[in-house]
Amino acid sequence: MAAAVRRVLRASRAWSAAPRARAAPGAQTLRLIYTTTAVQKRNVAASGPEKYTEAFIKNQIEEFNLGKRHLANMMGEDPETFTQEDIDKAIAYLFPSGLFEKRARPIMKHPTEIFPKQKAIQWGEDHRPFHFLFYTGKQSFYSLMHEIYGKLLDIQKYEDHLRAQSLLAENRKLINLIGSRWLIKEELEEMLVEKLSDHDYSMCIQLLERLVTLPCCGIEEEYVLKFRRELSIQLKKMVIEPLQYDEQGVAFSTGEGKRKTSRATAVIYDNGSGKITVNGVDYLYYFPVMQDREQLMFPFQFLDRLGIHDMICTVSGGGRSSQAGAIRLASARALCSFITENEVEFMRQAGLLTADPRVRERKKPGQEGARRKFTWKKR
Amino acid sequence: MEQAHSMTDEGEAGRRALWIMLRSVKGVICQGPKLDSGYFLHASARAWLSAAVNQDVQIPAEKPRTVFRTSESNPANHAEQHEGQHYSIPLQEVKVVFPHGLPCRFQMQMRTFNESCLMVRKPALELLGYLKNTSFAHPAIRYVIYGEKGTGKTMTLCHAVHYCAKQDWLVLHIPDAHLWVKNCRELMQSSYNKERFDQPLEASTWLKNFKTSNDHFLKEIKTQQTYMWSKRESTEKGRPLGEVVEQGLTRVKNASDAVGVVLKELKKQCPLGSFRLLVAVDGINALWGRTTLRKKDKSAVSPEELTLVHNLRKMVVNDWNGGAIVTTLSQTGSLFKPRSAYLPHELLGKEGFDTLDPFIPIQVSNYSQREFESCYQYYLDRKWLQHERASTEEGRKELLFLSNSNPWQMERISAYL
Repeated sequence: MAAAVRRVLRASRAWSAAPRARAAPGAQTLRLIYTTTAVQKRNVAASGPEKYTEAFIKNQIEEFNLGKRHLANMMGEDPETFTQEDIDKAIAYLFPSGLFEKRARPIMKHPTEIFPKQKAIQWGEDHRPFHFLFYTGKQSFYSLMHEIYGKLLDIQKYEDHLRAQSLLAENRKLINLIGSRWLIKEELEEMLVEKLSDHDYSMCIQLLERLVTLPCCGIEEEYVLKFRRELSIQLKKMVIEPLQYDEQGVAFSTGEGKRKTSRATAVIYDNGSGKITVNGVDYLYYFPVMQDREQLMFPFQFLDRLGIHDMICTVSGGGRSSQAGAIRLASARALCSFITENEVEFMRQAGLLTADPRVRERKKPGQEGARRKFTWKKR
Repeated sequence: MEQAHSMTDEGEAGRRALWIMLRSVKGVICQGPKLDSGYFLHASARAWLSAAVNQDVQIPAEKPRTVFRTSESNPANHAEQHEGQHYSIPLQEVKVVFPHGLPCRFQMQMRTFNESCLMVRKPALELLGYLKNTSFAHPAIRYVIYGEKGTGKTMTLCHAVHYCAKQDWLVLHIPDAHLWVKNCRELMQSSYNKERFDQPLEASTWLKNFKTSNDHFLKEIKTQQTYMWSKRESTEKGRPLGEVVEQGLTRVKNASDAVGVVLKELKKQCPLGSFRLLVAVDGINALWGRTTLRKKDKSAVSPEELTLVHNLRKMVVNDWNGGAIVTTLSQTGSLFKPRSAYLPHELLGKEGFDTLDPFIPIQVSNYSQREFESCYQYYLDRKWLQHERASTEEGRKELLFLSNSNPWQMERISAYL
């Protein structure tokens, strides 16, 4: 990372100048692929003085623990080994709710998860603030930057020390960053209990990146990993069934698919000639419309296996188009057993293995349909 | 071509000249679609191979051209080696033999391609084999061609009709019996029999087409009975049948009765042996189904109350000899029958099945691999498939899948490309 990150103290003067919109070359401006709960919660932390006192929170925690033991007793479980999952199951059992919104259902969680984190009162009785950076406005943020920079200087000192003893070449310790990502801005805000701007956030990440490039950063690995989150890889979640063989020794595999309200199962046989039977009827007569037949053709044509496989499928529910879509998904999933990993990845990127999440939207009262409003009359 | 053998012993220059000459000759062959590909291809391949053996020049390997046409235009000579190939009927003949028999999509294709090509298929060959071996002393055998929708039943029937026309039989071809039981604009009470109803328009159209196809027979066959059309008009005994047809055409009111007379005369005279009769009916299940026609008091008309249907039913009964009856079942124009019905007992109903029993069923199914390939090559050759991907291997597989080798479906899809 060639860009020299300005020192925190010097930069604080620069930051008060006109905001620089360009992102420095080393910084990671993460594009949010999927969200965490941090994004959805309101950042109550930075808004105004304490709503809940410390004593109140402590009280709540005691009550929660007691309640947990009572609940365990009620359910006949051991109070010592009663986990949060067991609590959730017990509550769902005792207070069954038909509400669609999951967040509106009854919950029992630890008070730190329910009451948002708040800042304690930051000045004493003589109205003098406790923290030396209080008057910067973002005390925890700047103190964090100080801390990180302090660690960076420590690592450099350690490096110099090793270099003096010429032991640098053997003692390189690097942190493994594969499979994890930096915190996103919302997560950092939640950690610091303070509002940040995009610029502040990018400065923090740049500093961390700079720290990580040093050869001996392994000393502060534990500290740095606090700012990293695990990335779960998409494809590992899909399990590919192995091929099965029937009495004649012909390889076959099954797959299931759904679309809207249709459910389909497909069995694909090897050594075939491209015959497809749907619910006992030839596909030409079950789907007289060419659009549906094109949907059936798509997985085979994509893998260039048009005349090779035979297929027998059953489908129920929905209309003609959704049945065709369900069979398409089922056949794509069944074909996964016949092909290589790379081809499975190609299919996934082509969208053949994703279930279409679109469902019919409900009609709302006061409107004629899901979106259509009644005719507007001026008077 | 013989020059090739003598010149291959000469030097390099001679060989090169030979190669260029062969190439130009082959170019001529490629441009002539009317030439019989079988003979010339064989000859040029022979010369090519013999030249190639002695030459050092690299010739790119030639893909063997699939033979999808045959020059045998007489159905009598069609045999298994012609299976899957198209044979063309000269347009003049088509006008005479098929004034009203071919499906309308085929007629459009005929007009576009400026030629009419029928594919020789196994059911048709089977049927022709039976027809060739008919014994005219025995009662007329009934053949029922059945199959799923769009597999080529009407085309098989037309193939048989063409054969019989070439063999100089009298062809009684009813193009679509369904047209007689639905959408009739004028329904008149019959003068001959008060119970029945006449259909002047349909009858006169049919008589016109019948006249076109069997003109020469109508002059020879004489009536054996006097027919009174009205107080003043009558046809005497011994007059040629053409006069009855004329009477039907001029006096449209009597057209249905004229049709009945023609059918009766033909049936009576056929066993005498002066001519052979082929009764070809397309969509015979219309005769025993239901009609959509209504009487004046809104009650439904049943098929036997129609003169045309009544007479045709008598024709189809096998109490005469000296010919054959070839019929087709058709769900496409049928009334009140589900789409999936294609078997004889489903479409004919109990009454029809009992009347037609015993019959020889001939099943027509979708194209086989060879036939599909032949159809595909034919469309490519006629430049009907214009899409750039249509001529590739993937395009061929796509067409095969989307149409499932169904001829009707294949034709419809190709029309879009």
